[in-house]
Amino acid sequence: MIRFFLLQNRQGKTRLSKWYVEPNSNSASGSASNSPELEKVRIEAEVHRLVTARDKKYTNFIEYNNYKLIYRRYAGLFFTIAVDVADNELCYLETIHLFVELLDSYFSNVCELDIVFHFNKVYSILDEFMLAGEIEETSKREILDRVKLMEKIE
Amino acid sequence: MSMKLRELIRKVRACKTVAEERAVIAKESAMIRTAIREEQVHFRHRNVAKLLFMHMLGYPTHFGQLECMKLCASPHFPEKRIGYLGMMLLLSEEADVLMLATNALKNDLNNENKFIAGLALCAIGNLATADMSRDLAPEVDKHLKSQNPYLRKKACLAMARCLSKCPDMVEDFVDRVVTLLKDKSHGVLITIVQLMTTVLMVDYKFAEEEGEDPFQTDCRKAFLRLVPTLAKMLRNLLTNTGFSPDHDVGGVADPFLQVQLLTLLRLLGCNNLEASEQMNDVLAQVATNTETAKNAGNAILYECVQTIMGTESEDGLRVLAVNILGRFLLNRDNNIRYVALNTLSRCIQEQNQMGRGDDALVSGMVNESANNAMSALQRHRQTVVDCLRDPDISIRQRALELIYHLVNESNVEQLTAELLNYLVLCPREHKADICNRVLKVVDRYSPNDRWRVDTLITTLTIAGREASNVFQSATAVYISRADRDTHAFAAHKLVKAIRDDDGSQTGLLLIGIWCIGEYGDLLLQPCTYVPQATDTDDLALASQSTPVTLEALAPIDVVQTIERVTEHHGCLEHIKNRALTTYAKLSNRFADSGDAVALGMINAVLTKHSTSRSLELQLRSCEYLALINAAKGVKSAPVPKEDDIFGVTSSVSNGDSVSPAVMKAAQDAIARMPVVDQKVLEKRLAAENMEDGGVTTTRPQRAAAPANGGDLLDLNDMFGSSSATPAQNGTSFAPVGEAAKSDMDLLSEVFSAQTSTAAAPSLGYDPFSAPAVAAPSPAFANPMDLFGAPPTTASATSTSLAPTSNTAIDLFGAPPVQTSAPVDLFGSISVASTPAPATPTKPRVMGFSHNGLSAEFEYSKPDPTNNQRSELAACFKNTTGSPVRGLNLQVAVPKYVQMQMDPPSSTTVPVSGGNAKEVTQKIVVTNSMLGTKNLMLKIKVSFTVNGQKMEHMATVSGFPVGEY
Repeated sequence: MIRFFLLQNRQGKTRLSKWYVEPNSNSASGSASNSPELEKVRIEAEVHRLVTARDKKYTNFIEYNNYKLIYRRYAGLFFTIAVDVADNELCYLETIHLFVELLDSYFSNVCELDIVFHFNKVYSILDEFMLAGEIEETSKREILDRVKLMEKIE
Repeated sequence: MSMKLRELIRKVRACKTVAEERAVIAKESAMIRTAIREEQVHFRHRNVAKLLFMHMLGYPTHFGQLECMKLCASPHFPEKRIGYLGMMLLLSEEADVLMLATNALKNDLNNENKFIAGLALCAIGNLATADMSRDLAPEVDKHLKSQNPYLRKKACLAMARCLSKCPDMVEDFVDRVVTLLKDKSHGVLITIVQLMTTVLMVDYKFAEEEGEDPFQTDCRKAFLRLVPTLAKMLRNLLTNTGFSPDHDVGGVADPFLQVQLLTLLRLLGCNNLEASEQMNDVLAQVATNTETAKNAGNAILYECVQTIMGTESEDGLRVLAVNILGRFLLNRDNNIRYVALNTLSRCIQEQNQMGRGDDALVSGMVNESANNAMSALQRHRQTVVDCLRDPDISIRQRALELIYHLVNESNVEQLTAELLNYLVLCPREHKADICNRVLKVVDRYSPNDRWRVDTLITTLTIAGREASNVFQSATAVYISRADRDTHAFAAHKLVKAIRDDDGSQTGLLLIGIWCIGEYGDLLLQPCTYVPQATDTDDLALASQSTPVTLEALAPIDVVQTIERVTEHHGCLEHIKNRALTTYAKLSNRFADSGDAVALGMINAVLTKHSTSRSLELQLRSCEYLALINAAKGVKSAPVPKEDDIFGVTSSVSNGDSVSPAVMKAAQDAIARMPVVDQKVLEKRLAAENMEDGGVTTTRPQRAAAPANGGDLLDLNDMFGSSSATPAQNGTSFAPVGEAAKSDMDLLSEVFSAQTSTAAAPSLGYDPFSAPAVAAPSPAFANPMDLFGAPPTTASATSTSLAPTSNTAIDLFGAPPVQTSAPVDLFGSISVASTPAPATPTKPRVMGFSHNGLSAEFEYSKPDPTNNQRSELAACFKNTTGSPVRGLNLQVAVPKYVQMQMDPPSSTTVPVSGGNAKEVTQKIVVTNSMLGTKNLMLKIKVSFTVNGQKMEHMATVSGFPVGEY
């Protein structure tokens, strides 16, 4: 299952972070003294460091602590998913891509600024897409319909 | 007055420095806190949104947690929505506030609005704790039966979370799952499949914890009945009957659902033959029909391969799976190559384990299928090898792992060549590991000795710095075990390698120098061999291949080669040590060559080191010089008087010559000096192999060996490094039976004795010329037990000692210069009549009594926290009637005991009784095997009384059993 989903720009600013498994309970290297919040920030910074340092020719997978990071770069944005070691890496690459397509069709040609200013919408798209660390719906139309419907209610 | 979220974001983005940003956030946080305190209800929504933004930037937002809860309870949907969002982001599972949410969640779950209920389900799925799960599970369950697919799918995943938090609830939900599988909506199907996967995993773990058979639980049995349904679902996706354009990704029908179905099938088919058979067909269909042009298709294939490998699939299917992976290996996409390598090495490992673990019948079956898959894999060998050249290190590492598993008798030469190629390129921190792998491969599959030795030497040439000690000693063992031609080949090759090296490949230098010394005589002849074809395909070429001849070397060249190594500014001391040993050996190997220049040079080098500032080097070179000279018949150490320690030589050694016996013994000693005790080495190697079983470890004492200043190969093994093998200890304590054994041990002890020279009085102390009287040093302690003879026969006048022992004693230095006086031959008699010693405060054990001098060992445990450590004090008693001078006590202990010895309080023992002060000598021993082995000392005491030189040896072992 997915442990966390991260969206960062090249400078390391977090644009979206969603944790499905608390970091301390599962990360071996996390020092016990850190609160979960601090630990999350620390891991996010570390992920950014790892991901940005990698060459284009390299694989999109990094073994990190006791799980795996699967990342994909779209322009200046890095989408990273942390999953269990036994999970299907290729499938999660596809997951990232589907999420990007969702954003793209929701914002029609998405850019970083859209995500910055409408982060709450990005979160609600994510919530319709994934839940409890698993994929909830794979139909783009279905997800976007739901999100738009909810906005109409507001 | 309150800023809009949009404004805040803009402001933060406008900040040029981190400090500026921090200031903006701090100001805004303060504003929000005030708003919270003043209960500004209209701004609650906006404030929480701002807090979310700050949270994302990594600033503390804990003060807003309660505001989120309040928003959740609000009746308005927009407020509720941001409240839930805030709850899911700002709160963690540990937050106490979360407890308050349970009730609000329960209310919202029962709300008619499906979006509100959906929000609540979402919150449960993302952060429910065990307590909340237990409370809310019935409500979630209600939604599993909901009319609305939107709620059903959310409920499925929320339920998955609840069940993984409370595994004991699993059984109650099994039936519900079964009905949901009939659902039409893809969204519900994928979630229900994921729920089933979670349930199976949770159930497996739970059953294991409860001690039940995890493959026989009710839940699994119920799910196993659904295998045909799941297989049908998968088939529908393939055949387009369940086609839905919404779920299509690049022409592949809902890859996510396919992958999830395959994962679930893997869990069900694992260890279950019936289920595996039911899914065989559909797996074959997936494997053959999936489009591979897109990543989505590859993801399905990858999952399918894993399922085939993870279940009890047919052989044909397994071969198909390996072939798919083989195709993956050829893919240009690194990601796909990576998963292929990863899966292949995992499969091989699993198969190896299975083959080993099962009984004969089953393993026969498994091996057969494993062999089929294996042979399919062998076809892709070259592709895997190519992956070693990939720029991405993770691919290289995977490929290396895989290659290591692929090696067998037929391809060992080719694959080892690839491993060596990689060794040149790979980062330094991986080299030691690869060396060990090469060693294991070479150990198991070498076609012949020469190839093996050749490979090991090449490895050392590439990574001599990083190769572990295990590797080095294994190389030495293999070289020495081989036949004479290989010896010559190895020696020639190593000379060449050392010459080409820049002096940094320590391992190569050590082994090279050792080998040159050992087989130096073979270097003087040319070495001819026929190189073998590296590949079996080149048979024609092999028959044509011409023999290669390595030219003979002149002795002087060989000596110069070694000298160049030691002259190198970075040359380590233990290499120099070994070089000295090699010089000594070469003096013998080259003796017949008649090359006076080379021999002269050896002598010159040794002489140069005899004034070295390093005690170890100095000692060694002096000893070797003495040995070489003795072999030539020249007495090296200045002997002031003819009263040799053992009356034997005193009668014959006149002037500058030594007895023929001594000469011969010295020659023998040099000739046989570097005996590598192969048995000990091999035994140890075997023990190591067993111990690490695939993983490479370096044994600590191995690493410590060079630090001991000893020649790892030549010396340490003599004593038998491992205290665990009593047989080895036995040899060093056994009485000397044969001369051959004796001189081997003798030399080893001579050299290893230097480990304790730290206690020697002065650095410039020269063991050869200094009179023994001045040296109450434990440096000589160890050699003692080599004389090994039982105390009774080792009397000073004993002529039964082997001549070699004489030489050794000779080496040990000139007898003390002492005044002459008649020997009190009857001194020992008076011992019996001496009055009992003053009552000792500590317990004592009798040490020895000889010719009027006796000693008792007082023993105590000074340190209550360290039981192994005990303090002994030798208390000497003189009953001869005249003072005993030149007292020198030497003590040897078994290897499992560490010893430290102080000098005696005086080297002169006055006649005991009256107010004469007692002479004592303190010894601190640490018995590392306390409880299993007892402390035992072998002592040798030498002293002069009335001008008569006395020697006595004895064993002291009367210490309380189990305590010392």
